[in-house]
Formats: sequence, structure tokens, C-alpha cells
Amino acid sequence: MRICLNLGTCKDVETELCSRAKGFEMKAYWIVACLVVLTLTLVWFAPACFAVNRDEASANIGEAERDLSLASSVVAEAEKAGANVSAYLARFDDAGKLLSEAYAAFGRGDYDNASFYAIQCADAVDGVVENATRLKMEAEAAYRNSMFLAAGTSSFYLSLLFVLSLFGWRFLKNRYFKRVLGMKPEVVTDE
Amino acid sequence: MTFEGFRLLYVLACVGLGLVILSPTLAFVVTAPSEVRFSEMWILGSGRLIGKYPFNVTMNEVYKVYLGVGNRMGEFEYYRVYVKLRNQTEPLPDALNGTPSVLESVFEYNVFLSSKTVWEKEISFYFEEIAFDGNNCRISKLVMDDCALKVDKVGGWDEESQGFHFELFFELWLYDAAVSRFQYHSRFVGFLMNVTRNQ
Repeated sequence: MRICLNLGTCKDVETELCSRAKGFEMKAYWIVACLVVLTLTLVWFAPACFAVNRDEASANIGEAERDLSLASSVVAEAEKAGANVSAYLARFDDAGKLLSEAYAAFGRGDYDNASFYAIQCADAVDGVVENATRLKMEAEAAYRNSMFLAAGTSSFYLSLLFVLSLFGWRFLKNRYFKRVLGMKPEVVTDE
Repeated sequence: MTFEGFRLLYVLACVGLGLVILSPTLAFVVTAPSEVRFSEMWILGSGRLIGKYPFNVTMNEVYKVYLGVGNRMGEFEYYRVYVKLRNQTEPLPDALNGTPSVLESVFEYNVFLSSKTVWEKEISFYFEEIAFDGNNCRISKLVMDDCALKVDKVGGWDEESQGFHFELFFELWLYDAAVSRFQYHSRFVGFLMNVTRNQ
């Protein structure tokens, strides 16, 4: 295709377009090359950028340890209050295994995995404290209600027993005296 | 029956009936004497039998034992079992004073138990790196439940029993919420092994 503009002859235009196309092609090559280098650089340095050092791994394990201990303490209190905590046992088992893995990885010097397992451990018990606290409060409320109900019922029946025992005593006393008086020997006069 | 006797009988009957009526409330107020609080720990060999523990062990051969913990503490407990490896010269926990071994643990199990429940786990382990150098045997890597562990434990040749003896033992620790840390619970189990060269 030939385009004639005010730039000169058609041949000159063709040469100009060809050189521009070549220049564009070269730029494209450079852009692709830069992208490839950038991608490789990212792949190479990304793990180093996101790598976890010993202190970070230790801090994550410490946090997981605290979360797990706190959750277990709250669940223990909830169980003591009478709540059913069996639903949490599986979560605790998972969290416990993850913490063991974290310590083992830390011991091997594998801080990335140590940190990963520690975070997973903390996630496994996430929300347990809140739920167990709620269960504990519910169990305590149920206990208080039962105690008040028992105390109220006992008080009512004790009062009833007291009143009935007074009437009962009067009735039985009269009956007793009647029976005793019925047994009293009569004086018979000799005529 | 005299009148006083009759009155006493009536009063006793009323008091008895009153106690029966009061018993549901007393159950909330009066606490029963607490049971003896303790924890159990055991280790079994192959076939879940006492005594069938692995003794002559070689590199890369898998062995199994069964570890158990029982909670009789009357409430939910958080236990930690520290796994430790020692050679013949290193100390075991002090059973008399109730102190743990000073050795570093190589692995740990976290155990959560409700009251009156037990936990039992099949533990598989093997030694991945064992090196013999004259009268010394060095264990460098232990794999426990598919978890590779660096141990670096050296044991000498025992002339008396003719072997390189190591002991794998498990200490039971209990989390004390009052002080926010684990405390040794004065219980440990373990078994002795004789590390031998592969045939």
C-alpha cells in the first residue's frame, strides 16, 4: 500500500514507514525482554522478601502458644461451670498437632514452615475463647436458675410442712389423749 | 408409748421430711468430698503389649509404640508430652524429687482431655541418620510421625551390655493456668534401645 503525503515522494514515505516499523519492532522486543527480566527477578527475590526470620517465627509460635493456652483455660472453666465442651476437642487436637509441627520446623531451622504452622494453629482456635465464654455464662445462668428453683420449691414445701405439722400435731395429740382416756380404768363403787 | 415419746417421734418425722424436701437445695450448697486427682501415663509396645518395645534398632526401619495419657483430675486439662532422647550417661527425670530431665525435647505432643477420658496414640519413628565411628554412635536425625527432627546425639559403646544404648522417653507436663506455663507432672515413661548396624 502506498500513501502519498506531503512528505516527499512515495518511495521516501515507504522508507520512512519501514524504518518506523522496525523501530517499533525493536521497542516491542525491549519491552518483552524487560518484562521477562522483571518476572524472573520477582520470582528470584520474592521468597527472600517474604521469608520469615527466626525472631518472627519465634514470635508467631509464642502467639499461637498463648492463644492455645488461653482457649484451653477458658474451655476448662466452661466445663467446670457445667457446659458441654466436647465440640472443641477436635479443634484443640488439630491446633495441638499444628503447634507440634511448628516447634519441629523451628527446631530444623525451617522458619517459614514454623511460622506457617503457628499461624494455622492460632487460626484453629480462633473464636473458641468467645464461644466458650458464652457457653460458660449460659451454664452459670442455668446453674443459678436451677438453684433458685430448687431453693424456691424447697422453701414452699418446707412452709407447707410447717403449717401441716402444726395441724397434724393438734390432730394427733387429740387422738392420742382420746385413746389414753379411753383406756382409763373406771372406778366402780361396791354396793 | 408415753406422750413425750410420741412428741419426739413426731418431731423427728417432721425433721426427716423437712430434710428430704431440702435435699435438692442442699445438693447445690454442700459439696461432696473431692476424689483423688491424678493423671495416668503409659507406653505399650507392638500389639499394644507391655514389654514388646523395640530394642535392637537399625537405621531407616520403622518402629511403633503406643503412648497413652489418662485424665483423672476432675476437669478439662491441657497436657504436653515432651519426647526426649538420651544416651546412657545422660540423666532421666528424678522420680524422687519430681523434677524433669534437663535434656532438650526433640518433639512434643499437645493433649487436651476432658475429665475421665484417655488419649492413646500410635507413634511411629525411625532413625534416618546414624553414623558409627569406632566406639561412638551418632544419631543425627530422628523421624517421628513423619516429622523429621534434628537430634545429634552421641552414645558410647557399653562394654557390659555390648551395645550402643539410647533411651527414648516421654515426660508428662500439665498446663497451670494460675502461672500461665507448663509444669512437670512427675510422670514419665520410656524404653531402652540398642542401636545396631544395618545387616
